[in-house]
Amino acid sequence: MTERALTGLSSWSRRLVAVGVLAWCLITAFPLYWVVVTAFKTPPGVVGGPTYIPFVDFTPTLQPFIDLYQGIRGEFFRTFLNSTIVGLSAAAIATAIGAMAAYALVRFEFKVRFGAGLIFFLLALGFYLLFNNNFGVTRAQALLLAFPIALVVAIIANRLPLPGPILGNEDILFWFVSQRMFPPIVTAFALYLLYSEIGRLGFQLIDSYVGLTLCYVAFSLPIVVWLMRDFFEAIPIEVEEAAMVDNVPSWRIFLGIVVPMSMNGLLATFMITLAFVWNEFLFALFLTNSKWQTLPILVAGQNSQRGDEWWAISAAALVAIVPMMIMAGLLSRMMRSGLLLGAIK
Amino acid sequence: MMRNDPIKHVFIWPAVLVVLAISIFPLIYSFTTSFLSYRLIPPIPPRVVWFGNYTTLLQEPRFWNAILTTTLIAFIAVGLQYMIGFGVALALNARVPGERLFRVALLLPMLLAPVAVALVARMIFNPTMGPLNQFLSMFGLANLPFLTNGHWALGCIIAVEIWQWTPFVILMMLAGLQTLPEDVYEAAELENASAWQQFWGITFPMMLPISAAVVFIRLIESYKIMDTVFVMTGGGPGVDTETLTLFAYQEGFKKFNLGYTSALSFLFLIAITIIGVTYLALLRPHLEKRR
Repeated sequence: MTERALTGLSSWSRRLVAVGVLAWCLITAFPLYWVVVTAFKTPPGVVGGPTYIPFVDFTPTLQPFIDLYQGIRGEFFRTFLNSTIVGLSAAAIATAIGAMAAYALVRFEFKVRFGAGLIFFLLALGFYLLFNNNFGVTRAQALLLAFPIALVVAIIANRLPLPGPILGNEDILFWFVSQRMFPPIVTAFALYLLYSEIGRLGFQLIDSYVGLTLCYVAFSLPIVVWLMRDFFEAIPIEVEEAAMVDNVPSWRIFLGIVVPMSMNGLLATFMITLAFVWNEFLFALFLTNSKWQTLPILVAGQNSQRGDEWWAISAAALVAIVPMMIMAGLLSRMMRSGLLLGAIK
Repeated sequence: MMRNDPIKHVFIWPAVLVVLAISIFPLIYSFTTSFLSYRLIPPIPPRVVWFGNYTTLLQEPRFWNAILTTTLIAFIAVGLQYMIGFGVALALNARVPGERLFRVALLLPMLLAPVAVALVARMIFNPTMGPLNQFLSMFGLANLPFLTNGHWALGCIIAVEIWQWTPFVILMMLAGLQTLPEDVYEAAELENASAWQQFWGITFPMMLPISAAVVFIRLIESYKIMDTVFVMTGGGPGVDTETLTLFAYQEGFKKFNLGYTSALSFLFLIAITIIGVTYLALLRPHLEKRR
């Protein structure tokens, strides 16, 4: 629909609507303007009360950024690098395996018996308690042992004619997406305990690249599967059918036809995932302490470390924000071409 | 058309395994821990207390306070986000002047790190050096204790939430508005329906399913709020702005009271599930009627 909703309005109320939107625009823009401006202030420019316009109200300086780079307020450069490495790799892995799962859910038929799922959960719980209480193994070991046993038994049980409902692709998708509903604190805290127990077995996961990335991959997967499923469903199936007639194997159809056709969707999903990982706070707070600290943790710490040094706080916040600003520019360009709207619907 | 090819297992298992490992492991672990009395500092060997942790928690005023605070933040913030977001989306959809410029800025706030946004908010709400109080004093208002008074602090957190997440509502509602069929409006035009009638008679009911989804997503996400509060007030003054996640963090990571924290996070999970199910149950009759 084009100019439909407002045509009934007089030009006077049309103007009123425009003013309202403009007001919201200003509210959105002001804090961003403020942080950019403050990052270039000298200490007197901050303490003497609010100042707004560079060169008129105060003399801009690059000192806050130089301080940042030199690591006066924490290992900024290293933390920036951590965030980039973890963000890029978690987003790439999550997009890759999430897209594969989404494709499978769109094009192949799955049947999971509800009974098998129940068996998996009960056996995992039961074996964990059994191992932990009777065989004197640690809690982490007990979990690691119980998990594969329960999984194997459940897979075998899935082939048996168990009573109870049979779950299809939609239910599997729902299971994926429902993982997003969990309060992350439930997992973050338990994961922290689990990681530290595994650490005692000699495999360092707390404050490590593997531990953090694994956790972020798992928590981005629901979104990736959800978004990518819509992209894949929009692809006309005829192309794939033609390839199947020629006996092209499925993995080559996926890599050679489907992936190139949904490149834009993959890219958008990758960027959304990257933004999610880049900004994530809670898991990083629990699972890192020094070496693999990410930007949000360092930025949050600026506050308590040295009080109201706003020029430095702003510079730090700006470093965390700017990559996402660039991303917003890219994404909004994709959105204008109508690409993302299809995904959101 | 669905194919059946053994290779489908190769496609789906990596994702399933990762999600299973990272979600089921901790779930079982914290579920069993929630029935224990288990502390790391001072180290006491775990002891089974069954529902002891849960009953202690349910009698703890701080827990109810956290639930109330979180609920207030979530409902007020999401309500306002929805109203502002729907309004702006309607305006953008009708091509008000300057709409193109606005779309670029549209995505920004929701892509920014909540901790960074909270830091900026702290500066803006600062009583002496912040621009907001200076702006208000132009109208002769006294300096307001934005972050040091419990009620004001709660309001500020809600304001920041609205600032950051309204764009998400705008984005989704805009996508929904663009799918509405045009001929219904043409018919309404012929009947001389006013813009107001068109909105309540056509736009709002047709947007109900997507509205329900947007509000649901935002509500669930808002209940997890932590980073904004952590930076802006740290739960203070006192425990006036302490949310559930922050409370769990304080108990678990500061006091290392493992059994207690596990019980807390399970109650949190149950609360979220109840809210989600109630919400869906309340909305279902409306959604089905409209279809």
